[in-house]
Amino acid sequence: MAQEKLTVSNTIRALRFAADEMTQQTLADRVGVSRQTINAIEAAKYSPSLDVAFRIARTFGKRLDEVFQCRPSQR
Amino acid sequence: MSASFEEKSVWIQFGAMSVSLGAYFVIAGRMLASGVREMSAFVSMFIVAVVVMVVFMIVAYVLAALTGKPEDRDERDRLIAWKAEHRSAWLTAVGMLGAVTCMATGVDNVWTANLLLLSLALAEMLGFALKIVYYRRGV
Repeated sequence: MAQEKLTVSNTIRALRFAADEMTQQTLADRVGVSRQTINAIEAAKYSPSLDVAFRIARTFGKRLDEVFQCRPSQR
Repeated sequence: MSASFEEKSVWIQFGAMSVSLGAYFVIAGRMLASGVREMSAFVSMFIVAVVVMVVFMIVAYVLAALTGKPEDRDERDRLIAWKAEHRSAWLTAVGMLGAVTCMATGVDNVWTANLLLLSLALAEMLGFALKIVYYRRGV
């Protein structure tokens, strides 16, 4: 069954700056992952688990779809 | 290089294994080519290689711990480890089959043992290399 490929993007960087320029390390400590994992998520090099995604959204007081967006991949 | 402690750990293991086991297999290859067949000669050389590897890793881990706070593995580290191991395990299986074939066809035990060791070492090295790729390029 052929499925459409999806690209997941996020607004974490913008949300961090809006949250008093929160550092990646601070966000990582609050979420419970390494700073490099936050960096990889921001750069769309890693899609987090639902658990981590919800914890990131909760840290900023946002809904999940306000932090993570998904669109079909361009071929 | 901005790397997590887990990624540094992978680089350390990759480096330690490349240097120590790389040297072992170069020397063992020359010994086999020149007709050495005593298992004890290979065993003692392998023990030296393992000791060198352990010492290298201890020193490197201490340096890594001094330059950055060690952290627990997170979900990305676990996913990378799982993917790399999943994609490198076939090399061990090839080595096992090769060793069984060697035993069945009466190949010298020294050759069989070294083939087995080589496949295990290559599988580990491939696993480390894949982990580094996943850490650098994304997973």
